[in-house]
Amino acid sequence: MATRAMQEATFMILTALADGAQHGYGIITDVRDISGGRVRLRAGTLYMALDRLRADELITVDREEVVDGRLRRYYRLTPAGTKLLADEAAWLQAHAAVALRRLDLAGGMAT
Amino acid sequence: MTDQEHLERAYRRLLAWYPREFRRENEQEILAVLMADAPDGQRRPGLAESADLIRSGLWLRLRPSVPRSARTVRAAVKLMYAGAAVSTVNLIMLMALIGDAKAYHAMLGYHLTAAQVSQLTTLFITVAIVWALVPIALWLWMARACGRGRNWARIVSTVLFGVATLDLTGAFGPPGFRLSLALTVFGPTISVLYWLVGLAVVWLLWRPSSKAFFRPPGYTQAQHQAQMAESDHQAQMAELARIRTRLPRHV
Repeated sequence: MATRAMQEATFMILTALADGAQHGYGIITDVRDISGGRVRLRAGTLYMALDRLRADELITVDREEVVDGRLRRYYRLTPAGTKLLADEAAWLQAHAAVALRRLDLAGGMAT
Repeated sequence: MTDQEHLERAYRRLLAWYPREFRRENEQEILAVLMADAPDGQRRPGLAESADLIRSGLWLRLRPSVPRSARTVRAAVKLMYAGAAVSTVNLIMLMALIGDAKAYHAMLGYHLTAAQVSQLTTLFITVAIVWALVPIALWLWMARACGRGRNWARIVSTVLFGVATLDLTGAFGPPGFRLSLALTVFGPTISVLYWLVGLAVVWLLWRPSSKAFFRPPGYTQAQHQAQMAESDHQAQMAELARIRTRLPRHV
């Protein structure tokens, strides 16, 4: 597939699912925690992303539970989703490494 | 009504922006998330939250539901939206030209009374605008239907492209006469580019890689899933039968 930078929301959602299935609200709180409160997913954005990720077969429904009379659906990564996230993470890491190295060389961030 | 009921009712109203199919599948779940995320005592959705729900609802209505695996169909659908965009520009330019035509009529007089002139131009403007809306509607309709894997849409798209091609060559009447399928206000270069968009769409829709995405008429997503589940079930049964044959007789 085309190597285009993944949207941050997508990246964070996939990351939240990387170590196991989670339900919608679980993803929101997890993403908030991972990002130190910087990324706050809204329900509309989340379900739009989940719908797209399901259509692209990057995530799938793991199981459904009924809690307090409401349906709770758990999502997990598919093998394709795992691979995509791994590729994206490696790519981001490589770029971040270059940025940090150059900053260090320039002496700007040397501490 | 408690604060919670009040808030839930407001959220339900916002969820009306979502497509029905999506709502049937996800409404309960989204409501649960929205309610869980709302601070105690909140009675109505915040502005940003409402905007986010409306925006994603609209997006879900408009976006093509083509999986990443059907790349050629995705490209075709995008091109069809591009075609709709060009047709829209055509409509806007046409409306600008109509302003001139009105001035032109008024200038010549045509021995018509002022009332007749304004009546004529009103009719002319209405017909021209409706006429220019047709291709926009067709592009959007075809994009949507093809995006949902409707095989008839692939065929209709192709037929429309054929008609548009004949139209461009002036097959349907005196010189200068066009069905609304060909652009009316642009010069030949843009018109040919526009036609090439149509050609690319048809080509993409009939690529072998598009074939799997288009299912026979009347074949719904539910049937597709049922069939998948059925074949899963058959595989499991076959597996069980295989295991049974390996078991000792007396079990």
